[in-house]
Amino acid sequence: MQSPSIGCLTRDPGSFSESRWHYASSLNELREQGEYDVVLVDLDAADAADVVFLLRCDARYHLTLIYAGRDRTGNAPELSDGSIPTDPNAITEAWRKWHQRLSEFNRGRYPERFDEYVLAWLWTRPEGRLKPVRHPHHAQFYYYPLLSAFADNEPVNEMVWLQLMMEQGWLERGPLTDRIRLCTHCGSARLNYVDVCPDCHALEIAREPSLHCFTCGHVAPQDHFLKQGLMLCPNCLTRLRHIGSDYDRPLENYRCRACQSFFVDAEVEVRCLDCDTHHTPDELRIREVRPYSLSEQGRLRCRQGFSGEAQAESHFGRLNLVSANAFTNLLNWQIQQSRRYGETAHGSLVLLRFANLGEALSQERGTTLLDSLIDRIRETIRETDRCARTRDELLWLLLPHTDRQGMDRLRERLTELNRLFREQDGIHIDLRTVGITLPENLLPQEDSDLLMARLGGEVS
Amino acid sequence: MLEALAVFPNELAAGGLTRLFLVLFPFFVLLELPLSLLVLAGVIRWYTRNLMTTPRASLYRPRVSCIITCYSEGRDVQNTLLSLCEQLYPGEVELIPVVDGATANEATMEAVRDFRVDPVRYPNRFLRPIAKWQRGGRVSSLNAGLSHATGEIVFALDGDTSFDNAMIGAMVRHFEDPSVPAVSGSLRVRNSWHSLATVMQSLEYFLSIQTSRVGLGEWNTVNNISGAFGAFRTSFLRHIGGWDTHTAEDLDLTLRIKSYFGRHPLRIPFEPTAVGHTDVPDTLRGFFMQRLRWDGDLFFLYIRKHRHSMTPRVLGWRNFLMTLFSGFFFQLVLPFLIVGYTLAGLVLLPLNVIAVLAVLIYAVYLLQTLILYLAGLLMVSERPWNDLKLAIALPVFPVFMFFLRGWGVICTLNEMFRRGHEETSMAPWWVLRRGRRF
Ligand SMILES: [Zn+2]
Ligand SMILES: [Zn+2]
Ligand SMILES: [Zn+2]
Repeated sequence: MQSPSIGCLTRDPGSFSESRWHYASSLNELREQGEYDVVLVDLDAADAADVVFLLRCDARYHLTLIYAGRDRTGNAPELSDGSIPTDPNAITEAWRKWHQRLSEFNRGRYPERFDEYVLAWLWTRPEGRLKPVRHPHHAQFYYYPLLSAFADNEPVNEMVWLQLMMEQGWLERGPLTDRIRLCTHCGSARLNYVDVCPDCHALEIAREPSLHCFTCGHVAPQDHFLKQGLMLCPNCLTRLRHIGSDYDRPLENYRCRACQSFFVDAEVEVRCLDCDTHHTPDELRIREVRPYSLSEQGRLRCRQGFSGEAQAESHFGRLNLVSANAFTNLLNWQIQQSRRYGETAHGSLVLLRFANLGEALSQERGTTLLDSLIDRIRETIRETDRCARTRDELLWLLLPHTDRQGMDRLRERLTELNRLFREQDGIHIDLRTVGITLPENLLPQEDSDLLMARLGGEVS
Repeated sequence: MLEALAVFPNELAAGGLTRLFLVLFPFFVLLELPLSLLVLAGVIRWYTRNLMTTPRASLYRPRVSCIITCYSEGRDVQNTLLSLCEQLYPGEVELIPVVDGATANEATMEAVRDFRVDPVRYPNRFLRPIAKWQRGGRVSSLNAGLSHATGEIVFALDGDTSFDNAMIGAMVRHFEDPSVPAVSGSLRVRNSWHSLATVMQSLEYFLSIQTSRVGLGEWNTVNNISGAFGAFRTSFLRHIGGWDTHTAEDLDLTLRIKSYFGRHPLRIPFEPTAVGHTDVPDTLRGFFMQRLRWDGDLFFLYIRKHRHSMTPRVLGWRNFLMTLFSGFFFQLVLPFLIVGYTLAGLVLLPLNVIAVLAVLIYAVYLLQTLILYLAGLLMVSERPWNDLKLAIALPVFPVFMFFLRGWGVICTLNEMFRRGHEETSMAPWWVLRRGRRF
């Protein structure tokens, strides 16, 4: 078997004895020299980390074995394959294994798309993990360097992507790294928690010491008790002389400077530092941050290949669409069945309206979202379900043998996905859904046309 | 009883030792009367003076430093600190708890460390604790506190005493007059109703501290600034060298301040509305042991240390007489006379005469107590309803005082022969040894 071509980025080529290696002193020089099978980055830790990341961003080096640094303590830069081995034969050995695994990936087809690259990276590295890295400049404080590097020019919504991969069963979760709370509006984790007035939500509140008279039980702000340098209960006029025997201080109280209300517990309000949206703490989205690795099912898929998945399809074309005419006939038939057999012939009709379809598709990430939504629909519906588009933005789903519960589940999942995108990327597909279940929601004398008109009215 | 009264004139006629007894004994009893009258007059004067003057708002708000001597009080120190934070006084108050023997008194040290002064609630209160790792006694604690104090007025307070919230305000008021170098505060018993011993001590504190000192203070003859509770003008205190390395530092300091009275028109007011609350010994035994220490110290101070300053020239005539009369005579000499006469009487007089005399003397003392008590209750007490309850102890009080005087004799004897003050538990022996001998 052949040996790999090895490119070595170093400022001191003299420290290496290998004559077959190709030395470069800068990243640009290395890139211009051509494509190597293995890259060695012999720089100090901080520079090495930057170089490794930049190399990974380069499609030629997405999957390449990259060794960086000479640190033997196991602190090799993120996205590298470890520090530079002392034995050159170890490099050749590792490359052979890597090459072998890559050739088994997806029946020998080299990855083309984002998900394929990620899966291939994990597949060629048995210990490979998608590791979250904390970074204070990142709006969510955590990001996955590999996903960022592979995303290229089209930024991927990491959270949504990971969730989709999880649902398809290709990835599995590692131990929980952190739990963060996000703004529901913009998805930022840069949040400020402030005490505010529970009545008017003003920020300017101040603790106001209060007193509790033992004689009559009166509780009031301290000011009410002070009369000409003496402490008198305003209620029973007892002279209060000694804390603990005449009076005490009850729970801390607050006074709102804006509305003058007096309260025991201030309310906690969360203010997003990025978009200035105000939330209550329990409104925040909670996100769990963990590493991910290839699942058994994912490995199987990598080995057996994902043919058929890759074919390009127009967005809606990936659904088994029927013509509007055929759809109304099917619906009429379903209505008759349900009328005749009642509960035993359940069926549901869902209408999705993509109100701002044109606008959404014009955005770069809009297509991804739409694809994801359609993928979701496709995953959820069954072979027997039928879809149709009566107008550009109207998508009908006829779900025979599906009761209200099943239908609601589908609608919820779609709404959820849509919401994720809105929070993460600020892309908003104005998705309105309405659904009815047959025969319960069917009006007397209603046929498919009347029913579709009724639902159409509800989403317009 | 009637029979005994009938015998009385006969015995009087019989002459000799018995007559001497009957003539002299009431004399001693009556000797106390002028003092009582002086106190009573003082109380009435204070009361009427207070009625006449309307309280005026003053802008005099000097920074105050409170030295709190702590030893084995543990968590109770926090009550003291809290009661000082709670002071209504609008000026700045610096709290200097000095923990003596902090290594041994870990609980106290911890309590001081844990105490937090909430800056929102108490914007003018500052905590500056001092830990003295080795035990050095109360005087060294007070001097350490004094050297760190930044206030114009310094308070010497006990870690087991807590204070009414008007205390600092009431005490500081007096310092506006530059002729006031020190102010004495009033002490009350916190654990009044724990036992018979504490009830009796409550009554004693009420009569001899709160009421009597109002009377004495009115004539500028305060006999003692209690060690648990006094306030001093910092500059004056530093001028006379702070506290001295000896026992009974409170009385010692009072006498040293008074030694300036002859040359300067100074006065030491007593402020009955500045009230501290302290725990007294629960048992009679504990009480008598405490007095053994205190009364022994009296002898030490009057006879040994301040012998040379006991002149009218040093003290001024009024204080010389008062010190001689109330301090020296009443506290040191009178107990001997009473015990001596009692013993002599028991030997010389027939039983029925003793009975009559006992009843008579009891009646005189009860009357005196009653008058003082009523004066205190009606004119001085800031908690009359509390003090009214103490009335049930009044009938026993003269008997209690009789035994207390008797005990005073033993205390003084103990001091004379054993130099008992060196065994005092307030300071360890090595500190005392370094002090001057008398
Ligand atoms: Zn936001
Ligand atoms: Zn408000
Ligand atoms: Zn009240």
